[in-house]
Amino acid sequence: MKILYSLVTRRTFLNTLFCGWLIAFLSGCVYALLKFAFPTLGKEPDFVVLNVKDFLDIPPNSVKPFAWGGKLGLFFKKEDGSNYALKGVCTHMECNVMYKPEEKKFYCPCHKGWFDENGKNIAGPPPKPLEFFDIKIEGEKLIVSKKGIKVELPKA
Amino acid sequence: MNCRKLKSWFEERYDIEPFRRFLKSKFVPEHKYDIWYYTGGIAMFLFVIQFVTGIVLSFYYVPFHEVAHKSIIDIVTKLNMGWFFRSLHHWGAQLSILTLFVHAFSTLILKSYRKPRELVWITGTILLGISIFFGLSGYLMLWDERAFAAVRVATGGVGNLPIIGNFIKFFLRGGIDVTGETLTRFYAFHVSLLPLITLVLVGIHLLLVQYHGISVPLSQENEIRGYKPFFPNVLYKDLMLWLMVFGIVVTVAALSPPEIGKKADPLAPPPENIKPEWYFLFLFQTLKFFPGEIMGLNGEMIAIILISFAILFFVLIPFFDKKSNRGERSTLFTWIGVLYTLYFVIMTIIGFLS
Repeated sequence: MKILYSLVTRRTFLNTLFCGWLIAFLSGCVYALLKFAFPTLGKEPDFVVLNVKDFLDIPPNSVKPFAWGGKLGLFFKKEDGSNYALKGVCTHMECNVMYKPEEKKFYCPCHKGWFDENGKNIAGPPPKPLEFFDIKIEGEKLIVSKKGIKVELPKA
Repeated sequence: MNCRKLKSWFEERYDIEPFRRFLKSKFVPEHKYDIWYYTGGIAMFLFVIQFVTGIVLSFYYVPFHEVAHKSIIDIVTKLNMGWFFRSLHHWGAQLSILTLFVHAFSTLILKSYRKPRELVWITGTILLGISIFFGLSGYLMLWDERAFAAVRVATGGVGNLPIIGNFIKFFLRGGIDVTGETLTRFYAFHVSLLPLITLVLVGIHLLLVQYHGISVPLSQENEIRGYKPFFPNVLYKDLMLWLMVFGIVVTVAALSPPEIGKKADPLAPPPENIKPEWYFLFLFQTLKFFPGEIMGLNGEMIAIILISFAILFFVLIPFFDKKSNRGERSTLFTWIGVLYTLYFVIMTIIGFLS
């Protein structure tokens, strides 16, 4: 069937074609740029493996730092000798916390946040308790893992 | 070739008459508040100092996290005048931001943002935001404990915004944590992206001011004492002030070079009583006042959302202030302007003292 009158003029058609081309071209460029500029994200580890000797013998009521991925992990021995591991990062604004042995509390100096020795947020701005990890000892290995994660070490 | 020959060489090729006419026709009104006109010029002059000192510092600074801290120590200890130029860049930055805040708050209270100058105000507020980002990114260059903690908090704070928060946070950090990747990114922002945007925006800001002419506060419209030619009277006054400001920065830079903290260690706790730069203190103090939980909701998120709205309102204020757009006095917005200024000043002081 032949159409006598076209619904679009030649000018509209060409303008649309050109604008469409321009939009497609620019969005392609912007997409590629953003894709490159946005980093490939790493992931927080599910578990880390440490050396038992380095941590188990620390004095009671003290902490020893370890690397939890790029963040601070704290190995913590309470006064009664029980061992814990936790993420040493304040739940407020991600500053590293420190342990105050005299008061048996964790303290974040950035905005004056306090946590008790069980990690509960007790004063200042922190909205959530500190994150505690599971610990397991396998021979020489001290395995610190996220709560509820099943760790399967590769058999060496 | 003497000067006259050069001049006629140029004039044969280019018509500078319109430009000359423009300079001659540019007048600045005299009234009770005309002193605030000079703050913009001072800010621009300080920007020039920042550009020049920044360029020479970038000849020596190494933006790699393992050597960044040491390269700054080398700049201030081993290079000729290195300590001076780093100090000048530091104090220039402090004074730039101070001047920008004075410029912004005076514009706010005198309501120079009103119709038809909305875009002058908006480009100005964006420039203020960019300058603060300049401060934060330049500050991380030190790669010391304080800078590290400050950038963690600042980027983490943005991460609390709903929906887009995490996207911005990871984009700024170049990963999930503040690492060496963040340093290279912030270096790129600091030396290429932000200066380019600044140049463009300052250009637009100045052109718009020329286009609209300088704003006269509503209360002074009938109290104008006269008009001074910009060229040369006002320009000379500008130059005098710039010279004084230059004297001040150079003196402060020479007398009190800023300290460099211990190299950043991602696993070390931040130093006791850590505080951000003074222009973040009002935000810092606001965050401190908010409890962790408000009626079962995340207090931080509420704080960040409220702050974002307050900033958005600040940027868009010319569109809300309908009365002064009509040329009527609007007391409400004077109070809002005073409130913003007081909030900033008081919170900064509390931040300093606590």
